[in-house]
Amino acid sequence: MMEPLLKVENLKKYFPVRGLLRTIGYVKAVDDVSFTINRGETFGLVGESGCGKTTTGRTILRLVEPTSGKIIFNGKDVTKIRGEEMKEFRRRAQIMFQDPYSSLNPRQTVFEVIMEPVRFHGIPVDDPEEFVIKLLESVGLNEMHLYRYPHEFSGGQRQRIALARLLALKPEFIVLDEPTSALDVSVQANILNMLKDLQKKYGFTYLFISHDLGVVKYMSHRMGVMYLGKLVEVGPAEKIFENPLHPYTQMLLSAIPVPDPDLARELKAKRMNVEGEPPSPINPPQGCHFHPRCPFAKAGLCDKKEPPLIEVEKDHYVACWLYAKS
Amino acid sequence: MTQEEYKKGILDRLSDKLVDVIASFISLFKKDWKKKNRSKMEEWKLMLYALNRSPPGLIGLILIGMFIFLGIFGPSIAPWSYRYFPVFENMSTYLAPPGTEAYLPFSEKTITYPLGADHYGRDLVSLILYGARTSFVISIIVILLGVPLGIILGLIAGYYGGKIDELIMRITDMFLAFPALILAIAFSAVLPERLQGFINNHEFFESLFLKIFALQPQEAGNLGKLLAVILAMVIVWWPAYARITRGSTLTEREKLYVEAAKAIGLSSRTIMFKHILPNIIGPILVYITLDFGGVILMEAGLSFLSLGATPPIADWGRIVYDGSQYFPEKWWLVTFSGFMILLVALGWNLLGDTLRDILDPKMRRSIEFKVKKQKQMEQMEKEGEENV
Amino acid sequence: MSEPILEVRDLTVHFYTYAGIVKAIEDVSFDVYKGETFALVGETGCGKSVTSRAFTQLIESPGRIVKGKVIYHKEDGSTIDLLKLDEEEVRKIRGKEVAYIFQDPHASLDPLYTVGHQIAEAMVVHNTVKDWKEGFRKAVDILRRVLIPDPENRVKNYPHELSGGMKQRVVIGTGISNNPRILIADEPTTALDVTVQAQILELMNKLKREYNTTLILITHNMGVVAEMADRVAVMYAGKIAEIGSVDQIFKNPLHPYTQGLLRAVPNPLAKIERLDAIPGTVPNLIKPPKGCRFHPRCPHATEACRKEVPKLKEIEPGHFVACHLY
Repeated sequence: MMEPLLKVENLKKYFPVRGLLRTIGYVKAVDDVSFTINRGETFGLVGESGCGKTTTGRTILRLVEPTSGKIIFNGKDVTKIRGEEMKEFRRRAQIMFQDPYSSLNPRQTVFEVIMEPVRFHGIPVDDPEEFVIKLLESVGLNEMHLYRYPHEFSGGQRQRIALARLLALKPEFIVLDEPTSALDVSVQANILNMLKDLQKKYGFTYLFISHDLGVVKYMSHRMGVMYLGKLVEVGPAEKIFENPLHPYTQMLLSAIPVPDPDLARELKAKRMNVEGEPPSPINPPQGCHFHPRCPFAKAGLCDKKEPPLIEVEKDHYVACWLYAKS
Repeated sequence: MTQEEYKKGILDRLSDKLVDVIASFISLFKKDWKKKNRSKMEEWKLMLYALNRSPPGLIGLILIGMFIFLGIFGPSIAPWSYRYFPVFENMSTYLAPPGTEAYLPFSEKTITYPLGADHYGRDLVSLILYGARTSFVISIIVILLGVPLGIILGLIAGYYGGKIDELIMRITDMFLAFPALILAIAFSAVLPERLQGFINNHEFFESLFLKIFALQPQEAGNLGKLLAVILAMVIVWWPAYARITRGSTLTEREKLYVEAAKAIGLSSRTIMFKHILPNIIGPILVYITLDFGGVILMEAGLSFLSLGATPPIADWGRIVYDGSQYFPEKWWLVTFSGFMILLVALGWNLLGDTLRDILDPKMRRSIEFKVKKQKQMEQMEKEGEENV
Repeated sequence: MSEPILEVRDLTVHFYTYAGIVKAIEDVSFDVYKGETFALVGETGCGKSVTSRAFTQLIESPGRIVKGKVIYHKEDGSTIDLLKLDEEEVRKIRGKEVAYIFQDPHASLDPLYTVGHQIAEAMVVHNTVKDWKEGFRKAVDILRRVLIPDPENRVKNYPHELSGGMKQRVVIGTGISNNPRILIADEPTTALDVTVQAQILELMNKLKREYNTTLILITHNMGVVAEMADRVAVMYAGKIAEIGSVDQIFKNPLHPYTQGLLRAVPNPLAKIERLDAIPGTVPNLIKPPKGCRFHPRCPHATEACRKEVPKLKEIEPGHFVACHLY
């Protein structure tokens, strides 16, 4: 059960900021991030826009080349592989995108969309039509949709098509990059349930990226909270929601509007004072990136030294000086 | 679908038939093609409906249809050969005005001139028919060579970006920095001898080009100049395509489906040609259509400057040039051949503009809307009454 | 308390598009009371935005207000039908008595003018200030009221110099610059991050209390509704499904759609094993289902639902529902 499928070690992705003639700085989109994902579990990654969660997901799949660090997939570092090995990695690790309106080629029918990767990876299929219909049925679509174009489908249906394409490759690991944030709540619930069912059935491992804490809680076994390119807290989802350690996590949790009027009134009274906005990742603050917004920031420590990830309780890590022993 | 609810004209019904016939034809070779491409056929029909609603587009289509017909069959239906010079038999055929009849003593034939004659006494109708072939072949070769070159370079530049992009686009800029006509003139002046040498050494190409231009063997020595113009135009033609393709590729490559294709592991080449190209080809097609007219105009311009087609090869631009010496007293040479150039250029432009509307999904919907507007107006009025 | 400021009756808006007549909203009726926060909730395309825009005839071609009344109770107690006014008269109401805040703060501000100019302009147009000079002076006050730090200097900033949250504060500032009696906020926080959203909601509550403004909040986020609203109207496919106080809606939802919607939202503070999704998709409004528009997705649909359009019925005081079950 606790066998790691993916281990990310000190992953960094810096995007150069070009001036007129030379590079004048770097956006540290992902800055020294490490975590592991166990086989068969869902690891949630939350954070606000621009915190680097999407870049993390893409860097792990090498859709964006990492600046440094290791991505160990099935015990093998995939940061340097090429050719056949890369092709095999592409089959085993897949991604589902946020925007269902641009993630499908408008000129391909559903059949072509799904068969293209299958043909490319040489997966043997007896009857392509039947194969695709079976896949469509497993995501709640049917035969009728086989030869239609993406523009004939709603957002939720397109996400299902995208999902069917992933399933065709029988991957082990899927990055879900905000798969439901463009969808309505009632449709979102359908897709989330389906993702859970498929995980149970095929033993998928998910990296679930989202800014919606409710959705992450629903989906994840373990989760990480990102702020300005850094992981500030990692641990089992339940523990993080019950007992958030990092001041940023606490702030996030107290800021979510709760769909329950009584609870909302109650929480309003003891809500944390939420202040400020995330600064630009081009010039992040010195020391702990969060210290300018942090109510507990200690001058001389938090604004000088970056906190390491500290294991506070079993499997629950936090990068905050509040929890440093001595 | 909903189309059945609206009135279809005879053209629309013809369009439906046409699409169905084409679909059945393809189905003969590809099993189940019809079933798999129902959505595509639906869209084709809509495009044709849109075309049917656009009188300029139909006029353009008719003009171009006629041009293509003349380009292919013109030399075969021409009553007289372009290399037949009546003036040597009967001096009165020299620049004979339209409507003249003349007797040719050696060949013992009577020649009539519906549109007049040139200074060799050649029938202008025949010359225009032969000239249609010349323009047709030149425009096709230029587009066929220049456009793919530009598209490929533009795709590569846009897709890879960085240094490759920089290199390709700077070269493109170099070509675009010169006025196209000047550059073409320069190349057409420099290239003929080498091309002539090549033609002289390769009999296959010599006979091939003579055949496609519908020329007689005596013209072998003039092919060099003709091909020089073609090559010159290819050289000035691709940069514009490289630039527009690069532009569209830059927007398209940011779309998620391209990243999805990468995530599957597809090669850059597959992504460029199978995914990006089909999605950007629409605007390029429009551009090509408009450009056909441009090629014909430039070719006529170059011939007018005595580059390209040498007499006695029939060429519209050349006829205008030759006729201009006798203009305005002998008006027919300039007028009729000039008019042909005008019609063809106009035809391509009308067609191109309509194509732009048809290929743009939004415009297509709006044309579709016009088709259906009538019915909606009625409904609106009815509701308006209820409202009061 | 229950003194109406806006009475909407049988409001119907149709869009005449290429594909047919989109019946965006039909026979929408409700009251908004003075000083309350009234939330219009629903999914994409349910007509909540169209409804709010129709109040001041902000419907653009190909849309048309087909019928209905929007009775507005003026400060002096007289009433007018906003839909009967001509363009000139309605402009005097719009922005001055009824102000709007739209979803995307980036698109709501003109990048070519300073924020001070844009706030001043709103006042100059309605003659609430003597001249531009006074307008600029008041703009500083307004920026202070929407809690923008250092307003004297910020007033000279261009929109691109401000963060997303700051921009939305400016937009709110423009909205309240003429002390409107009704403020319509259309998804005011959807484009913002959670922590910023919490700040903006807090700010709107504060302003509402200070100026006794009536707030009409349009959102799809049930959490935001629970936090902010006094009364709620749930819309589905262009019709009102249910109206009630926030407690009635959340604790005793009557309409099957409201029930489904509430169960489909993953609550971050509760433990959920499985979300109850609403099957099916939102209907096409060109050919909406006959009878109750929700019946194809409704678990309790009967023969009557398929034939008859349900009317809004008062089940308990102030709690209306349009469903044949009651």
